[in-house]
Amino acid sequence: MVGLSLGEKHFIQGGIAQDLRSDARKRLTYRPIYVETGVIPQANGSAAVKMGATEVIASVKAELGKPTSLHPDKGKVAIFVDCSPTAAPAFEGRGGEELSAELSTSLQQCLLGGKSGAGAGIDLSSLSVVEGKICWDLYIDCLVVSTDGNLLDALGAAIKAALSNTGIPRVQVAAGATGDEQPEVDISDEEFLQFDTSGVPVIITLTQVGKHYIVDATAEEESQMSSAISVSVNRHGRICGMTKRGGAGLDPSVILDMISVAKFVSEQLIIKLDSEISAAEAREEE
Amino acid sequence: MSGKGGSATPTTYSPSPQNQKKPKSLIFKDDVDWVRPDGRGFQHCRPAFLRTGAVSAASGSAYAEFGNTKVIVSVFGPRESKKSQMYSDIGRLNCNVSNTTFATPVRGQGSDHKEFSSVLHKALEGAIILESFPKTTVDVFALVLESGGSDLPVVISCASLALADAGIRMYDLVASVSVSCLGKNLVIDPIFEEENCRDGSLMITCMASRNEVTQLTITGEWSTPKIHEAMQLCLDACMKLRMVMRSCLKDSASSQE
Repeated sequence: MVGLSLGEKHFIQGGIAQDLRSDARKRLTYRPIYVETGVIPQANGSAAVKMGATEVIASVKAELGKPTSLHPDKGKVAIFVDCSPTAAPAFEGRGGEELSAELSTSLQQCLLGGKSGAGAGIDLSSLSVVEGKICWDLYIDCLVVSTDGNLLDALGAAIKAALSNTGIPRVQVAAGATGDEQPEVDISDEEFLQFDTSGVPVIITLTQVGKHYIVDATAEEESQMSSAISVSVNRHGRICGMTKRGGAGLDPSVILDMISVAKFVSEQLIIKLDSEISAAEAREEE
Repeated sequence: MSGKGGSATPTTYSPSPQNQKKPKSLIFKDDVDWVRPDGRGFQHCRPAFLRTGAVSAASGSAYAEFGNTKVIVSVFGPRESKKSQMYSDIGRLNCNVSNTTFATPVRGQGSDHKEFSSVLHKALEGAIILESFPKTTVDVFALVLESGGSDLPVVISCASLALADAGIRMYDLVASVSVSCLGKNLVIDPIFEEENCRDGSLMITCMASRNEVTQLTITGEWSTPKIHEAMQLCLDACMKLRMVMRSCLKDSASSQE
């Protein structure tokens, strides 16, 4: 992105103050979202999401593993984000590492709930095969292909779509395994368990420019932000996670106002995403 | 070794079995009147021990002890930015948080908190007047000597004290407190055992006298009234912590005269 001149900066800030952004959107309107599922046939589930010029791909792979001693009846989920150099030349080699680490941590905080496992978007107990011995490990890998602002929202949407596309194979445990023996498992080739993604939250990033907040900022608008907050809201209107994304300090009453705006916007976004995901799956089946 | 007077048997050392691990579940979330393992009330923070000038080679430094969490922070700068970095007419802040290998009961366990450095950066950048040192970089290095729970808030508060000791211009001291949600209870300044079985957490970093929040992180599922309550709790605690930090700085300034 080329630097902005002073005139362009004033244009962006003034437009937002008048509820008219550079691409004719209102402050709380998202760019058109395009979802495609099943883009990676070798993965258990995958999806590609495009929001304007921001494009991300998420893939879910399931492998058998051993549960932790703290939670023997739950599976494990790990989320990784990789910023590809195709998105920006600065991401080559180790350049994108800091951004990837930040995005991975924010996604883990939003989707995996507290340490005890409560409030997680994904039901981890459905991933357990043999309690204490075998469980499914889900590896969610996301790739940022092109960036034009609002990466976190796009990644959250892609993960939601990929999880609804995920099929976990059926596992048959050989009966008669006793004590500390590792039971024999037979993984069937027919997909069996489809994920219940109604509990998976969506992530809304509110960017403050001047005195107003906008949703789904482009890269230009993000360069003018004074601060931003990413809120993860689930279908029932409960907050599942929140991070402030740097910048100037915010008054606590402003933060609480941003949370209520995020909840309002999330209702429409969840409806829109669900319809896009079911349309994508219908297209995939043809 | 000098034995006790008159004793014939040599004194030998054998680890006493009572020092072995305490029973694991000290926390019963559904029990209505459980007491916190260290006897504090739900809304009591640990007593804070703060000292500046811990590292004489650094421009500024601070040491903080909150119960079992011990952190030391050094600040170097403002010094010349690396030649490879672009010209910038505001200063740069570089933060690094690392755990010692003996910080956790299991050796090397805490080294997967790479995001602490970026959270520390975001918490401090809103408070430092970067325009006062253009073209230069201020380095903040934090070392967690013992991880006893609520590490990141202690690191942030200690780092802000070290920056003040180094004479870096700031809008206000940054104080940080976290709250854990255990069942229906909100527990402030959690220790390690409480953090491991929490349902959710809320960490706030704020500049108390300006009433500005520089960093806020929430995990777990929260309803909006609960967030209000937790934020209010944390902001009150931050204000009191800021008073403690301020008196620590005043003491060290007056003892230098």
